[in-house]
Amino acid sequence: MKSLGISDFSEQEVEKIDETIGIYKSSKLLGTGSIAGNVLKYIGVCNEDTVPGSSFNTIVSELINKLAQKGIFHVFVFTKRKYEKSFQYIGFNELAYSKKGAILESGAANIETYLSHVPRVTNQVHKTVAAIVMNANPFTKGHRYLVERAARENDLVYVFVVNNDVSLFSTSERFKLVTRGVADLKNVIVVDGGSYMVSYLTFPSYFLPDKEDKIKYQTTIDARIFRNKIASELNIKKRYIGTEPFSKTTGIYNKVLKDELPPRVTVVEAARQKDDTGSVITATKVRKMIAANNVKAICNFVPQTTYKFIEDNFAELHARIERGININGN
Amino acid sequence: MEIKRTAIAGTLESSDIQIMLSKGTEGIQVTLKSDVEKQFGDQIRKVITSVLKSFNIENAKVTAVDKGALDCVIKARTITASQRALEIADSPEWEVL
Amino acid sequence: MVNEEERLRRTMMFVPGNNPAMVKDAGIYGADSIMFDLEDAVSMTEKDAARTLVYEALSTVDYGNAELVVRINGLDTPYYENDIKAMVKAKVDVIRLPKTENANMIKKLEQLVEKAEKEFGVPAGSIHLMAAIESAKGVLNAYEIACASKRMIGLALSAEDYTTDMKTHRYPDGAELEFARNMVLHAARAAGIAAFDTVFTNMDDPEGFYRETKHIHQLGFDGKSLVNPRQIEMVNKVYEPTRKEIENALNVMDAIKEANEKGSGVISMNGQMVDRPVVLRAQRVVQLAKAAHLLNEEGDYIEK
Repeated sequence: MKSLGISDFSEQEVEKIDETIGIYKSSKLLGTGSIAGNVLKYIGVCNEDTVPGSSFNTIVSELINKLAQKGIFHVFVFTKRKYEKSFQYIGFNELAYSKKGAILESGAANIETYLSHVPRVTNQVHKTVAAIVMNANPFTKGHRYLVERAARENDLVYVFVVNNDVSLFSTSERFKLVTRGVADLKNVIVVDGGSYMVSYLTFPSYFLPDKEDKIKYQTTIDARIFRNKIASELNIKKRYIGTEPFSKTTGIYNKVLKDELPPRVTVVEAARQKDDTGSVITATKVRKMIAANNVKAICNFVPQTTYKFIEDNFAELHARIERGININGN
Repeated sequence: MEIKRTAIAGTLESSDIQIMLSKGTEGIQVTLKSDVEKQFGDQIRKVITSVLKSFNIENAKVTAVDKGALDCVIKARTITASQRALEIADSPEWEVL
Repeated sequence: MVNEEERLRRTMMFVPGNNPAMVKDAGIYGADSIMFDLEDAVSMTEKDAARTLVYEALSTVDYGNAELVVRINGLDTPYYENDIKAMVKAKVDVIRLPKTENANMIKKLEQLVEKAEKEFGVPAGSIHLMAAIESAKGVLNAYEIACASKRMIGLALSAEDYTTDMKTHRYPDGAELEFARNMVLHAARAAGIAAFDTVFTNMDDPEGFYRETKHIHQLGFDGKSLVNPRQIEMVNKVYEPTRKEIENALNVMDAIKEANEKGSGVISMNGQMVDRPVVLRAQRVVQLAKAAHLLNEEGDYIEK
């Protein structure tokens, strides 16, 4: 693998591998590849004594068939740009690339399918359309303020809710909280962010601490998917973000968005909201308050809809924290 | 017949074709990737569609990656993908072969 | 006296049943028999795919004069019955049953084949059978297996499983296989069917391959199972008759012709009576010579 320039075998990387396969001739390894979730990884082949590409195709086929047996039919791969063609040749489509590499997908539910399920309004091409991508873990007054402002300044606002289940509030709960929290705003459409927006797939550093250059690469990919595939298709001209005083990762992300999205998409940065006592509202703080049993204080930070959900489900949320769910991070 | 689950058959190896079959709503839609798309694209689509018809599959999304498969291979892989998608691989429809 | 020409079965080439490139090209190497494998060469998750692929290939690809054989999955697997149905419907020449241990296994197979022939309108009795002998039990029951059905055309020894069953493994000199080879061969000959020797898998040892092939040729096997098309030419070379053998055989054939023309029941050559075994051997030599392209259309020897 090292001879092919693949050398990052940090524990964090290797731990996520579900399965590795190899093809041998006599006892010589001709090719290998692995799968982690729905991502193909560490594919390396030696073309010395076979038709170029044949071992590669064998490995990728076998990995795709293994995933299919697990019921996974939507497959991603990150690769260096010089290998991109090999994947495109066997049916993968590029989502985005940066200097460091590209992300490609293949399978039944691709980005076109995803976009075809996003609701539209009539005459959308002539409307001013904005977007906000949020984790909303949980939905706070800060989120609400950002959506309100975007709704005031535009004809239509898409709120994409990050799809991942690695923290306190599940995807379906967060989606529900956002939907309830903006129900009165008639020009807001709440959409599941799927695999394409700040997903665990494209942007794992959002959920796990990581090195700065890696975060930059991942956020660049994320920003370019948004710019080239999503904003263009939905006529999104503005993206609203909140300033980030605390999280290093989100800080880098915001900077990359400002570098990558314009001029096609304008980035509107709004200052963080503070509560009555002047402390900055963040979802992280809300989760810590839940952990500290500080229910009263929460109500300053979240809208009534979120507060009610937390109150109704307090025991369950607490149980999750006690089971050791991660409440730090974003 | 209705597709019950997404299914895949075939490989990306030379002379083979990989067929992925999933639920659809607007008839049979075939997305084909092939080096010989220009000369044989229509023929490949025709073989795939006629197999699906023989299973009475009216709506399906098909993603096919062709690596130079003969018609009989295209037919075989589409049959296998269909039987898997219809969950009848253990009791095949003999009249379709 | 001249009986119906028996099929030559010098080479039976294994083709993995789920590999379209190999299935498609199987006919171009000139193997006497092509054996499409649905068993060991196919992973559990691809059994359905291989069965369908082989079916479609048998129904459309032109394999010339080669005898078409399919190794189905064993009696104890969930794929067995569907394999039989599909291959009968495809009108394959021969179904090969792996891991055959007794006559009942062949009888059971015969029943299912008969049923499938009816179901799919295939002429009754047209699908032939052969058995792979892969265990001590199978070797000891070889004769009853060979006689278990009039559809039987051959027995094949499969050494990999057999040597494991015998608590040994394969050695270069083949002493561990001597008993099994002779049992299988005798059973086949006694039942009037063909005998195939096991595969030789080390492609980097052509010397060993020739040694083994010459040995089984000497014993009297019809031919050998092969895993690589490159081995076909090698086997054919071993089975190729010498110039002297051919010329002698041609003389015998001439004597037969002469006797027929005279209406004489006695064949004589150089003033001596020719026995039936000599005639049979001469017929086989001529057949092998033809297959090796050593005779022209008039049946004369061609100098190579």
